Amino acid sequence: MLARVANNLYWMGRYIERSEHVARYLNVNYFSSLDAPNELSQSRQFVLRSMLFMVDKPEKDEKKILNEEEVLYQIGLDPSSPFSILNNVKIARENANSARDLISQELYEAINKFYHYTINYDADEFKKNGLDDFTSNVTEMTGVIRGKMRGTLLHDSVYAIIMMGINIERATQIIRIINSKCQDALSAQGSYQHKFSKSFEWTTLLKCLESYDMMRRIYKKTPTSISTLEFLILNPNCPRSIMNCLNQICNNVKVIDDQKEKKPDSTAFLVGKIRSEFRFKRIEEIDENIYVFIKKILEDLSSISIKMEEEFFNY
Amino acid sequence: MLSEYTITYKTKNKYKKNTKKAYWQFLIIPETNDSQELVSFEFSNSENILYQNSINGYGFLVFRVHSTNESFNKIYFEANFKVIKKYTNLIDYTEPLDITKDYNKLEDVNFKIDYNTFLTNTQLTTLPLNGKSLFNFNKKIAVLDNLTELNKWTNTYLSFKKKVTNTKTTLKHIIKKKQGVCQDFTHLFCAIARANQIPARYVSGYLNQTSGYLGDSQMHAWAEVFVPNIGWVGFDPTNNLLVTKNHIKVCHGKDYKDCSPLKGIIHTKGDNITKHSVQVIKQQPQQ
Amino acid sequence: MTNISNNLFSSYVKNEELYDEIYDSNGDIKDVYKKLFSLYGEHSLTNFVKLNSKAKASFFNQGITFQVYNKKATQEEIFPFDLFPRIINPEEWDIIEKGSIQRSKALNLFLWDVYHEKNIIKDGIVPIDLITSSANYLHQMENLDPPGGIYNHVSGIDIIKHKDGKFYVLEDNIRCPSGVSYVICNRTALKRALFGVFNHYQTYSVTNYAENFLELLETAKPNGVDIPNSVVITPGIYNSAYYEHSYLAKTMGIELVEGRDLFVENDFVYMKTIKGPLKVDIIYRRVDDLYIDPLEFNPESVLGVPGLFAAYKKGNVTLANAPGTGVADDKAVYTYMPEIIKYYLKEEPILNNVKTYHCSRPKDLEYVLEHTHELVIKPVDESGGYGISIGNKLSKKELKKVKKEVKENPRKYVAQPIMSLSVHPTYIEETNSFEQRHIDLRTFTVLGKEKEFVLKGGLTRVALRKGNLIVNSSQGGGSKDTWVLKK
Repeated sequence: MLARVANNLYWMGRYIERSEHVARYLNVNYFSSLDAPNELSQSRQFVLRSMLFMVDKPEKDEKKILNEEEVLYQIGLDPSSPFSILNNVKIARENANSARDLISQELYEAINKFYHYTINYDADEFKKNGLDDFTSNVTEMTGVIRGKMRGTLLHDSVYAIIMMGINIERATQIIRIINSKCQDALSAQGSYQHKFSKSFEWTTLLKCLESYDMMRRIYKKTPTSISTLEFLILNPNCPRSIMNCLNQICNNVKVIDDQKEKKPDSTAFLVGKIRSEFRFKRIEEIDENIYVFIKKILEDLSSISIKMEEEFFNY
Repeated sequence: MLSEYTITYKTKNKYKKNTKKAYWQFLIIPETNDSQELVSFEFSNSENILYQNSINGYGFLVFRVHSTNESFNKIYFEANFKVIKKYTNLIDYTEPLDITKDYNKLEDVNFKIDYNTFLTNTQLTTLPLNGKSLFNFNKKIAVLDNLTELNKWTNTYLSFKKKVTNTKTTLKHIIKKKQGVCQDFTHLFCAIARANQIPARYVSGYLNQTSGYLGDSQMHAWAEVFVPNIGWVGFDPTNNLLVTKNHIKVCHGKDYKDCSPLKGIIHTKGDNITKHSVQVIKQQPQQ
Repeated sequence: MTNISNNLFSSYVKNEELYDEIYDSNGDIKDVYKKLFSLYGEHSLTNFVKLNSKAKASFFNQGITFQVYNKKATQEEIFPFDLFPRIINPEEWDIIEKGSIQRSKALNLFLWDVYHEKNIIKDGIVPIDLITSSANYLHQMENLDPPGGIYNHVSGIDIIKHKDGKFYVLEDNIRCPSGVSYVICNRTALKRALFGVFNHYQTYSVTNYAENFLELLETAKPNGVDIPNSVVITPGIYNSAYYEHSYLAKTMGIELVEGRDLFVENDFVYMKTIKGPLKVDIIYRRVDDLYIDPLEFNPESVLGVPGLFAAYKKGNVTLANAPGTGVADDKAVYTYMPEIIKYYLKEEPILNNVKTYHCSRPKDLEYVLEHTHELVIKPVDESGGYGISIGNKLSKKELKKVKKEVKENPRKYVAQPIMSLSVHPTYIEETNSFEQRHIDLRTFTVLGKEKEFVLKGGLTRVALRKGNLIVNSSQGGGSKDTWVLKK
């Protein structure tokens, strides 16, 4: 496979995954805030700020009153904002275009439909009452696309590179969403009922990652900070956990680099090392300083990405 | 008699922004032919990037340098050549018996077909409409004599001046300005020769300037024309000379574009500056 | 039955002046079309409209589109497709196929000759200006032997049927002829929409193009290569024919590369893969001559590969089509095609040539200037239907302008009588009915070493504007599925 095309496939995977997470974050936060148990979590300003924080565009001016329609448009369909879902989809499709000969017609068609759906979505409609419609369709279409990847591509290096992108992006988005929600829980804490560890935000967090039902099956209790973080970070069986992503990344890289002996400067070696460190972590260690942990894992993920670029995408 | 030359070609390239990926192709290697022999060469650059030899589209040897990883904002190249030039009696030439026969040869279709490459005008060697009558051949004297006249005429019509033209200047402009450097002299000479059915090619090479000839301490240019019954003959219109032991040929083509000594494909933003210098030193004559 | 009486075709008007493909010489509807009419007649007009928009959506979703640039934004549009197929009977196809092969072979021999001994000029069959004043003659190709001796691996020959019922060639395209992917997509779309119809006909498949093409391409591999590594090179995703490039690479099972994916080391070509460099032996190029190598041709080109031409000259890589083939699809060369075929193959031309006037010849120029209103004036070195003037469609002012232009640059133009392209029933959305529209046929011929292949079908292009004779997609043309019936 061409190095340039591999790079494009990798980013195609990342952008598709990213658009899904952004869409779901918008949806869940907006709608769960409507009947949140405390005033702050219900506040529209609070939710909009959280959304901007999640797409890495935090509003620094604490006094500024954000305009709901503007913020939603900016994150959803604004062609001039680089982090908008619209632009994520555009880039994903452009990357798919350049690898058209390698991906299946079925997958291409799904991505193409996704693209046309997004660019043709009426922006005014979206701002006024299309949020749920648009974001649920985006998550559904990315689900279809993932299904086409799984079902219509040969599970060889092309597939592995795409999945590598998806898994790295998923881990990154999980950690970003955790970060946002920790922020929110921190801001929302106050009186006894609204303690950090028992914040309503943990439920929202789980819902943002479509993991609420899974979590309830294991813990059978209202989520707390510890149980939520443990589940989303360390539980290998949760498909939306960091551990699970790292395991998958490990499998993906084995397909791309089939040498038995992993050289110390290879991606495979680095991924293995990061995963091993993770497997023997306990949630108490993480909980001691969650922000240090978040920073570390983001750095780790980005170092994998950089390594891949050096090793495979150098053209 | 033989004379030996040492030629040094240097170029300095500076780039505003750092660059990694680049290609350079140097068309600067003296060819080996009946009158000269390339004895040895060295080629190096400041970044120690390996070079390759290749043959370009017209069959001449080039150096090619392909950089992929090293990041730099300047690079120097230096080439050294040792060439032995055979001193030949200008041309083994006696007045042709039948001048018209030579002119008829030029009109012959098969001749035109065989030499079509050097009879075809290019963008740089197309005479403007008013240029056709600048110099007329006298069919009563031999082809070679006409060319000698043309050489002289070109030399007087244009005066040598740097920086009034560049490598893309067309004849229309040159004829109007009446000034230029060796490329311009050569383009004009070739165009008029071709207009008179004489195959003419642009030659790029080195000139031994110690003899006081005009050039600009870069590569020199002159022309070769095909004269029936004699073959290719070199004329240097810049110096009004027949080409002899002081000219060391690198390559020929239809015009400058085919002979450009340095071609670079550089993936960088911003400007770049390129400086060339050429030195030709004549060694002690050998027996 | 001369009139058509069913739901779909009730308003079909036959213009007696035109040669309509569906009627035989007695003015009766041909049997093959009769059956087709009755099969199509089973659909109501509403139903047909539905099928038509479904087929369009399918093209759109598959991304078989090209970019249209207008003032506001770039838009994607599909290449218009007509659901009513053109049928070519076995006898007619025989002529087309043999004629296409004959022409392609003659062009290949012509190219070898003009880049080597030039005997055809020495023997006085064609004038020397064909090479000396052609912008597409590449001097770098002189005395270079392309691997396998093949120049025009793929030839796209545009054929029409005139009023007289005979086939004429309008143009030979041997640089980078495009359109073959549409042949296959049209078939797929028609099969999806009207699958029932196919049961009633024995039609040749068109999906075998890619494998045949690759097989023949590989016969012209460089010397010393055992199993060649082939690639398709494209200018990139913004090129209007990008879909076709990716389609061909995919169906041939080879990599689709851009110039930046390749590099040349010691006169061998390599591509950059995730596992390091991999040698490339055959390049099916969809990048124009002057852009393939910035060190040898246009130095501004970012689409090419520095050093590629030197690798080619050394015989280390095959380029298909060879650089410099453009000299032979010049419209001035076209006019000598009958002589060229006779000269190299000692055969009579199978397909007719349209009578052509060379404006460079004083006598022809005189005729052209007097009869401009009844001629088609074409620039010799343009393709894609650009720069063509059709005499009887010009206003007085335009006529004057054209004459002036021809007079000033006679070498640049040729003129031909206005050929009346045959017509075919075509569904027209604006009127919601079938109408006669002009069509042509582009055949795709592949030459290999001692073997050749013609795609049994080809691209029927249709001029969708009423009365329009120019079928190129850039000029508002569409296309139809083309059925070649088995004997």
